[in-house]
Amino acid sequence: MTEVQTPQPPISETASTPSPTAKPASKARWRMSRRGFLIGAGVVAGGLALGYVYGVPWTRLQLAQVFEGAEGPPGNYPEDPWAWFEVLPDSRIRLYLMKVEMGQGVHTALAQIAAEELGIAWEDLDVAQASTGRDMGSSLMTSGSSSVSGVFAPLLAAAATFRAMLAGEAATLLNAPADQVIVAQRGFAVQGDATRRVDFYTVATSKENWEAPKEAVPVKHWRDFTVIGQSLPRVDIPAKVTGAAVYGMDARLEGMKYGAIVRPPTLSATSKSFDVSAAEAMDGVVKVVVDKDFAGVVADSRPAAYAAVAQIRSEWDEGHRWQQEELESIVTAEGADGIVIQDVGDAPRRLAEATTLTAEYRTPFAIHTPLEAQAALADVQPDRVRVWCSTQGQGFVRTQVAKAIGVDEKIVEVIPTYLGGGYGRKAGWEVAIEAARLSKAAGAPVHVGWSRTDEMRYGYFRPLTHHKLYGRVDAEGNLVAIEHRQASGDVAFDFLPPFMSTVMGADFGAYRGATIRYDAPNKRTVAYRRDLPLRTGWWRGLGLLPNTFAVESFIDELAYAAGVDPLTFRLRNLRDEGDSARYRRVLQAAAELGEWGKAAPAGRARGLAGQIDVGTAVAMVAEISLDAATGKLRVHKIAAAMDCGLTINPDGAKAQVEGNIMWGVGSALIEEMTVQDGQVVPANFDRYPLLTMKEAPAVVVTLLEAGDGKPRGVGEPPIGPVAPAIANAFFALTGKRLRQLPMNAARVAATLT
Amino acid sequence: MNLRINGTDHEVASGPGALLVYVLRDELGMTGTKIGCAAGFCGACTVLVDGVATRSCITPLTLVEGKAITTIEGLAQPGADGELMLHPVQQAFIDVQAPQCGWCMSGQILTAVAFLQSNPTPTEEEVIAAMGENYCRCGCYHRIKQAVLAAADRMSVAAQPMEVSA
Repeated sequence: MTEVQTPQPPISETASTPSPTAKPASKARWRMSRRGFLIGAGVVAGGLALGYVYGVPWTRLQLAQVFEGAEGPPGNYPEDPWAWFEVLPDSRIRLYLMKVEMGQGVHTALAQIAAEELGIAWEDLDVAQASTGRDMGSSLMTSGSSSVSGVFAPLLAAAATFRAMLAGEAATLLNAPADQVIVAQRGFAVQGDATRRVDFYTVATSKENWEAPKEAVPVKHWRDFTVIGQSLPRVDIPAKVTGAAVYGMDARLEGMKYGAIVRPPTLSATSKSFDVSAAEAMDGVVKVVVDKDFAGVVADSRPAAYAAVAQIRSEWDEGHRWQQEELESIVTAEGADGIVIQDVGDAPRRLAEATTLTAEYRTPFAIHTPLEAQAALADVQPDRVRVWCSTQGQGFVRTQVAKAIGVDEKIVEVIPTYLGGGYGRKAGWEVAIEAARLSKAAGAPVHVGWSRTDEMRYGYFRPLTHHKLYGRVDAEGNLVAIEHRQASGDVAFDFLPPFMSTVMGADFGAYRGATIRYDAPNKRTVAYRRDLPLRTGWWRGLGLLPNTFAVESFIDELAYAAGVDPLTFRLRNLRDEGDSARYRRVLQAAAELGEWGKAAPAGRARGLAGQIDVGTAVAMVAEISLDAATGKLRVHKIAAAMDCGLTINPDGAKAQVEGNIMWGVGSALIEEMTVQDGQVVPANFDRYPLLTMKEAPAVVVTLLEAGDGKPRGVGEPPIGPVAPAIANAFFALTGKRLRQLPMNAARVAATLT
Repeated sequence: MNLRINGTDHEVASGPGALLVYVLRDELGMTGTKIGCAAGFCGACTVLVDGVATRSCITPLTLVEGKAITTIEGLAQPGADGELMLHPVQQAFIDVQAPQCGWCMSGQILTAVAFLQSNPTPTEEEVIAAMGENYCRCGCYHRIKQAVLAAADRMSVAAQPMEVSA
């Protein structure tokens, strides 16, 4: 027996769905009677104009300051509460979200924000992933640790407005004064008279046209929040332990076929010809599609598709066969083309006039390796195109699919599923285009699920980086001057219109985390954009991991050079105000949790590092030892402290810190992608192993509050300090510096000899 | 071929060389079994074959014919009142909020079920050794370990006769 899913959006986080014969959910439109939000990005476009007036370097510095140090990108979220909410026939309320759930717990956190202002019981709210068919504003991207911080205020306002509008109508229906109508179970009642009540569904369906309140509906003071701040269980977890959760790789439709694509043999290959005769003759093959450099197979089963694609005989011009050493020689932080992205005081002069400390660091290519590879199901029909996809950017997918198959974007609906890991890799759209092209050619729904080799080699990578740091400290351990020169392959530019790179010069994704956050009177950061012959892009935290590794290792070097304890040194160079004060507190909290200053167990040592990213301050103490037999560095424990402002769900935030720590340890000790003879070396996990439970450290996490009622991001900031905390612990243990990631047995051995 | 999955017989069209993971996911529509690397490295596709944790991505049907296959969909069992009761391991994974993206979790849970059957009272080191071949890219190792230990506690309590206090 084959069970086929119906072509409904395969996401529902609720066990109970109203039966199809039941009453339809509420539908309504509202009319704006006050000015809507006007949040245009405009920052970069504006930069074009400023460049003419103030000159390019000045403009680039200003633009850099918008990105580096900001608390996330601007968003454009719906103000209309009916875009967010729907009242179900049983008077529960459904919240629609444009943000996708990839394990970061965002659907739960956002539901808590909504529940806070709706004032209903947690059980009476359910959550649904919105497809692009629902008008939810233009921020159809889940990235940059910005979901909660971006959606927080618009969603609180929408929930408060929704409740107020329904309450106003309920007052009319109940013939009671508006200020005496209260939320009671799944409806409203008159205060003091529970018999006079009306349920939400009756209210919501009592009319179709709703007028927005003339005045903005006030929201609670954050100190009065009761749902926000609770560690409520995640709404997506039950389905994830029973196998019921549907991901892109699981999307199914009646009559669907499976697709597979021919991949080039090298990074620089261009196709010359495809001979498909053998593939076409194979059992189970429905269609072989060749269109210029694209060749793919549609078959009855996935194994048949994979087998047939392997039988397509293709000829290639392989292009230059790149070697790892060549790529590394491209990425150097020197030359006249650096872009100044931070410039305080006069660092070059202060560094030139006295003895300085200098060090260089390198980080390798890394692969995201979500365990669910890229996957999409496309159903291309003449008048309607639907794509179910594991994607972080359903808006991009819609646009790119429409472009690729030559249809109007309006007829394309993208339905995001759960993501089996995202980490920035699911911000692309290749797999959706592949599925759409094959579906169009075959006249049937086609599912494309990448193989592990496709996933390892044919996506985009965290780029190589190179860092040079220069620092000067006075006799009291105060930073006099510090400079960070940072080179990296592109991160954001590959995904953006070319004018962005023209205006900005340096890639804001690549230099994320590169600026000096300590309060040195003279500090400067220079970013060098380096063009690599392979795709590099978003990888969890973007430049945050490489840059924090370099800067926080170097800060440690300066502390030791000055003869000052690394915690004391950091505190000495952070003023007790603003974000610096928050950073001080997390350093102190991590130090306390990680037993900084106390003797480590025999054979072990501790290292400290921290960072501020998207407004979140985070610090960690790593406790390590060295296995004499294997030469491997062992991370026993990481103690972390984080201040992400107002925490929506503390347990969820802690889970993100834990996960980031495992990512950080993996990158610090193991992960390294290399290129040989023009091809990415790893084709599977044998050549790109991940951290396992055997190497996983014990983790303790404490959360601090900024005390200003403002949530900041948690999905990436904690990835920064892990590697430098480990490297700094290695120095504390051995007196030697590891300045290149990963810190594997070979590098440890080379450093110790 | 005939496969016995979660106590039910399924007649499948795939041949003896077909890999179990594709038959489960694509032919039978049981997508609770995930696919990660198709080479036996990651453990996302783990199912139980006669109670033994088995990587379905490298297991041809010939090896499982006539055996009892358990997938994540078959782990919960009807309780006394007929309601479907989660397996104690599933419940423990919920209790400690172990999953993030969840893609590896069917494999983690089934690996843990098989392990706890052979070792109902494991030490932390034994849990690490048993679970150490299953990747979790989100890095939920800390909680997976806690969940397996908690499940062992739950199951040992369940296995004891109820104490009745006066």
